[in-house]
Amino acid sequence: MASASRSTNREPAFLLTPGLFFLIIAFFFPTFLLLAQSVLTVGPDAGELTLEHYQKAFADSFYAGVAFRTLRLALLITLICLLIGFPLAIIISRASRIVRSLLILMIVLPLMTSVVIRTFGWLVILGQGGVLSWVLQALGLVDGTVSLMRTEAGIVIAMVQVLLPFMVLTTLGNLNQMSPSLEEAARVMGAGFFRSIWHVTLPMSAPGLASGAVLVFALSISSFITPSLVGGVRLPVIASSIYQQMTGSFDWGFGAALSVLLLGATLVLMVPYLIATGRLGGRS
Amino acid sequence: MTAATPGFVKLLSITFVLAIAVYMLVPLIVVIASSLSTSQFLVFPPPGFSLRWYTEVFNSDAYLSAGWTSLKLALFTVAASVALGTPAAIALSRFRFPGRSFLSAIFLSPLLLPSLIFAIGLLIVFSRYGDGPSLTGLVIGHTVITLPYVIRTVSANLIDMDPHLDEAARIMGARWWQRYLLVILPQCRTGMAAGAFFAFNISFDDAVIALFMRAPNVETLPMRIYSTLEFSPDPSVAAVSTIMILLTIFMVLLLDRIFGLSKIA
Amino acid sequence: MKTRKLFAGTAGLLAALAFGHTASAQETLVINSFGGSYEETHRALVITQFEEMYNVKVEVVTAYSADALAQLRAQRDNPQFDVVHFSGGLEHGAASEGLLEPIKPEELTNYENMYPFAVAGIDKGIGPMYSTAVIGLLYNTEQVETPPTSWMDVTKPAYADRVLLTDAASNTYGLLGFLMMNQVAGGSLDDIEPGLEFVKDILPNSMLVSKSPEIQQNFAQGNAWIAPYAQDYAYTLTKAGLPVKFVQPEEGGVLAPITVNLVAGAKNRDLALKFIDFSIRAEASKGWAEALRYTPTNRLAELSDDVAAEVVYGEEAVAKLVSFDANAIATNRAAWNEAWTRAIAQ
Repeated sequence: MASASRSTNREPAFLLTPGLFFLIIAFFFPTFLLLAQSVLTVGPDAGELTLEHYQKAFADSFYAGVAFRTLRLALLITLICLLIGFPLAIIISRASRIVRSLLILMIVLPLMTSVVIRTFGWLVILGQGGVLSWVLQALGLVDGTVSLMRTEAGIVIAMVQVLLPFMVLTTLGNLNQMSPSLEEAARVMGAGFFRSIWHVTLPMSAPGLASGAVLVFALSISSFITPSLVGGVRLPVIASSIYQQMTGSFDWGFGAALSVLLLGATLVLMVPYLIATGRLGGRS
Repeated sequence: MTAATPGFVKLLSITFVLAIAVYMLVPLIVVIASSLSTSQFLVFPPPGFSLRWYTEVFNSDAYLSAGWTSLKLALFTVAASVALGTPAAIALSRFRFPGRSFLSAIFLSPLLLPSLIFAIGLLIVFSRYGDGPSLTGLVIGHTVITLPYVIRTVSANLIDMDPHLDEAARIMGARWWQRYLLVILPQCRTGMAAGAFFAFNISFDDAVIALFMRAPNVETLPMRIYSTLEFSPDPSVAAVSTIMILLTIFMVLLLDRIFGLSKIA
Repeated sequence: MKTRKLFAGTAGLLAALAFGHTASAQETLVINSFGGSYEETHRALVITQFEEMYNVKVEVVTAYSADALAQLRAQRDNPQFDVVHFSGGLEHGAASEGLLEPIKPEELTNYENMYPFAVAGIDKGIGPMYSTAVIGLLYNTEQVETPPTSWMDVTKPAYADRVLLTDAASNTYGLLGFLMMNQVAGGSLDDIEPGLEFVKDILPNSMLVSKSPEIQQNFAQGNAWIAPYAQDYAYTLTKAGLPVKFVQPEEGGVLAPITVNLVAGAKNRDLALKFIDFSIRAEASKGWAEALRYTPTNRLAELSDDVAAEVVYGEEAVAKLVSFDANAIATNRAAWNEAWTRAIAQ
């Protein structure tokens, strides 16, 4: 990118303006309108500045616990996506053309199934006396039925399935740029298979893995339909609590406060990461 | 696989891929099997097989018009999102200017908040400053949530490309529109296609923005699925999902035909 | 107001480019309905007939009660709705926020025919109940030999792991069922602790869901045998072929109002009132009972015996239903939700 056009600053400004203008009007303005409610009173003296909604979030340890679960699950989901996504991307990048197309198809298919219906699939598999329970029993691994519905494990299983494509596709982008001769060279020089993966392939795909991880983390922290359908109401995450405040308790001020806190936490966790990614992403 | 790949690694890879395939596909197979059920309700395993739910879906005006609405919505969203996202991605990946990483973050920010926050905000804006929610409102909302994907895919695509081509064109005296039309945009093609694919899917599947931006005579397919599940939960929703799965397979194969899937990432 | 113009301009431009508006000369009324088979019945019983009778156009937005309230609130200054339907008691909150408009008795020709409780709140903005649902116990007739008789039956060891509870924070039927269990356990609207303790005790042996499709799935997959929920939903399950029956426990079933409300600042107030009046006709009340097993609120609604056997019907039977003070519910809802969420969280 160092050799990218040395043009006047007019050109990028011209290119960015429509999108930026659109986002300001259609995204930042509405979002701000709603988030502003987190510092406004409701009721008879509506519109005054207040911190009561934030105090409510910190009144006891409940929401801290919910936030902790949210972050823990998001990190776990991201980690699993990395662990599965990286080898899978390597395999896909080296497969023959037809196999590669089939594997990519397999990866993106879950994205296209309506989330409610996909969850029904998980209910059948993970639920009481479901497919998984049956398989485990047949293998003699468990006695009696097991159910992973309404467990954190169930949430992770269902979330990884939909988020894996994002990890695999971003990593694949990097791997495709990589010349296989590099790795072969390492191998010729006497590096073993795993050593060449570790020393050559991994660093080359780091930018893709990093941006995939950011995407997966952000998406898992802000999604609520799958966690609430698979995990149920007894395992609330922040996004489902926000949904509950907005449409169940109708406490928009509090819901907005929770959103601001979620956004803050995400930014604190992701900014160092984004900076690092930015550095990795720039090609020399 | 290169010749140097040890045999046990190959075996391991095949096992791994098969395991992942089971994991990714079994829930979908459950859905497809349920759609072929003779039963009145969503249940697995199906007691018997029939195509009655497909007949039902194709004879239902409500499903067909919801499908049509969703299709229109997704196409408008794809158009808007690609039109706004591609230039932004070109600027962000082709030029160096102060505040570039900040702007990148700004363009990705719609992913960071639960979309329902934005959805309610958008509803307030549309009611206060406009005529209330409408299909246009939905297109705008979906464009916001799909824009980051388009920007990401087009950027990833451009990093791959040779910047010298553009420079050469410039040196040869190409006008700006010639450079864009003949050099830069063709380079973005696969990224735009991948971005369009994501945008289409996300718009087609969204139930959050649609939940709040409800307007008269605008019922999208996910909304239809929700309301069907609420009052008369029957396998027709599984049939609709199966049709959507087939549609995805078709779209992916089409993309593969035109661009080669290996490039889409 | 620059933003406003800019925004309206952009949106307008997009709209013009994309769709091209068609103006209609007919008067139009915008209402919500709940989707699915409910909406189909709604169209057949009320909407289409109303359109033909008054030569107007009724535009239906599919929005569930909670979503409809969220929309009303977001659109406070410029409501798209003229008439809004709620089920399960959200109208009190909406009325106290000033989102609904009071109706005078003389504005409704059917006023005199309604049971008094069904029109008790119209002067405060709470629209008339055009029907009511009844919350009781649903049970699987193949697994449960003797029908349950009391709300306390959910604690029976025979039903361990087969009890299905519905979330009280996100589902109004769930809330009403919870309030009833609270009352049976010795609580009141001022004190829900006994109810929370009751639920905490049975939770380890029950499932807790938040949406009605989950109830259906759990009955269909055989996971659930007994569940506090609504009579109309029992009928939905029966129609789908599931072996499910509804009973009103001896402590009483709970009345869950379904109301038709006049939106404050409705663009078409007169027509909206006509629609509300049309919604509470005896024929409509009767139709709801026949199609979906909702209890009529118009005393002139005459049901055939087989329908009457499956709904709570008649002035006397309806009077026996437990009716919780909707104002207290609206006031305490947010606090109850917080307490409930904490009680059930793992």
